[in-house]
Amino acid sequence: MTTVIRTKSASAAASPAPGGWSGGPGDMGRRRRLDFLPYALVTPLTLFIVCLALVPAGFTIVESFFRIQPLNPPDKFTGLGNFQALFSDDAITTSMGNTALYMVIGVTLSTGLAILMAVTLQKKFFGRSVLIAILILPWALPGVVEGIVWASIWDSNSGLLNSVLSSLHLIDHYIIFLGENRFLTILGIELVQVWQITPLSTLLILASLQNIPGELYEAADLDGSSPWSTFRRVTLPLARPGITVAMVQAIIATLNVFDQPYVLNGSASTGASLTMQTYFVSFQNLNFGEGYALSLLITLVTLLASFLVLKFVYRPVEF
Amino acid sequence: MKKKPWGRRIGVAFILVWSLVPLYWALNISLQTDAQASSKPSNYLPPTPSFANFGALLSGNGDLAESIRQSATNIFIECASATVVTVILATLAAYAFARMKFRGRTVLFYGVLATMAFPAYTTLIPLYQILTNFGLVNTYLGIVLVYVSGFLPLATWILYNYMSSLPIALEEAGQIDGASRMQVLWHVVLPLARPGVISTAIITFLFAWGQFLFPLVLSSDLSTQPLTVVIAALEGRHLVPYTLLSAAGILALGVPAVIALILNRYIVSGLLAGSVK
Repeated sequence: MTTVIRTKSASAAASPAPGGWSGGPGDMGRRRRLDFLPYALVTPLTLFIVCLALVPAGFTIVESFFRIQPLNPPDKFTGLGNFQALFSDDAITTSMGNTALYMVIGVTLSTGLAILMAVTLQKKFFGRSVLIAILILPWALPGVVEGIVWASIWDSNSGLLNSVLSSLHLIDHYIIFLGENRFLTILGIELVQVWQITPLSTLLILASLQNIPGELYEAADLDGSSPWSTFRRVTLPLARPGITVAMVQAIIATLNVFDQPYVLNGSASTGASLTMQTYFVSFQNLNFGEGYALSLLITLVTLLASFLVLKFVYRPVEF
Repeated sequence: MKKKPWGRRIGVAFILVWSLVPLYWALNISLQTDAQASSKPSNYLPPTPSFANFGALLSGNGDLAESIRQSATNIFIECASATVVTVILATLAAYAFARMKFRGRTVLFYGVLATMAFPAYTTLIPLYQILTNFGLVNTYLGIVLVYVSGFLPLATWILYNYMSSLPIALEEAGQIDGASRMQVLWHVVLPLARPGVISTAIITFLFAWGQFLFPLVLSSDLSTQPLTVVIAALEGRHLVPYTLLSAAGILALGVPAVIALILNRYIVSGLLAGSVK
């Protein structure tokens, strides 16, 4: 896909001084004393990033080690006290399990479905661009509202799924999908998030697939390779860069899931995620110290999981 | 590869069903009365399609309709402002990163990109505390500042890639003709980079429209709460009928859905330029 090629050449072209008039490294001091313009151009961005991203992130790290309760001052250093409190809180440890399940189910399903969808879209066919437009719809919509939309599919009184299953005589009476069985609840909620994140995964993997030269498929065909073994030995290994990025975005999304469980299952322990607990701990119990500690924990786990995927799934591909 | 047309047909059918059925279902319910929507088995088509639910939300009076309308106004103001500010600041920074040499460029550039690896909610509590200290909780300004800080890195990255890919010869010609660098940006680079700017604006707008947890924390009443927060609160009360809730949902989905369907080319190219490193 042209965008990808463009991206690669862009980063290569960026290293040497682009264009004579912008000043090479050598003539910076000679012709122009100090060029203020670039600094003026990047100052607003820098201010935003420093004041509203880096400083807050620093807060999160430092304040995790403090007891901060606005209703119960003063703040004081507690070392690992907040973390100990988190691990001895049943609601939080249950949510750790829930979040792990969200991640495993979400990353597996979204990556698997995205590979299938990307392979479907790999070759040009009539109507493909319309299909891509429809495919990205769920990505473009607010997660909370998607939760409400899916609530009327899972609903135990008048939901679509119950209606279809009982019309097909697969069930005698309507089932409660969400809120009773923990695994079923998490599966139902995560499916809604998978619905939202799979389009981006599909696009990322599709971009990788479109970099694969057609000759490879012709060669595989000549060698009598079956479609399945071509998929396994040509498509899948060469799609690894796309699959890696897709998995990383899925990991970040699923480990931080909030909107879907919040609207579909409320604070019930059968589906509460860790990000929901951060919200409850900080803004309902007003225990900011523990909230900070939990945020830090989620962030570290997210970074670690992303790193592991990069290390074990990513392989550079050269054509 | 002998492409089995059956395999593709199944794939195409799956993508259509997967993407559209949930949306169809919400639309279907929003066009029914409460009694029709709770029948067993469900009505797969609205028996007597009616826009009464939408009418009740858009022109009705009463708290519910009032809160939907106010929050729809809020979400428009917040998303539009965040998009405008993000695109302007990202354009300026991307131009400097793509076309100028200056001390600290590399460190700054990768520092900005690195923030994208962190989950957004890392900064939720500190941002709340910082905005509280500056009296910016429950103001448009506070929400827009937070949105802009969240969306700037991706916007800068997309625009940087786009500008770097443009041929530099035209800019040099402009420079030789005596144009200043800002004139070159305005008269040469921006017209060429228009598709990239549009991609960035659309993606930023859609991200802003989808926000929930940040505004849930940062806006405390109807004066600034966006549609997403108000709809979720209605859902939690269990007093509002599903039909009305679905209609409200369709309203909140309508804007991004239309944008995604019409401008999908820009979204796809922007997302790919923004994600592949």
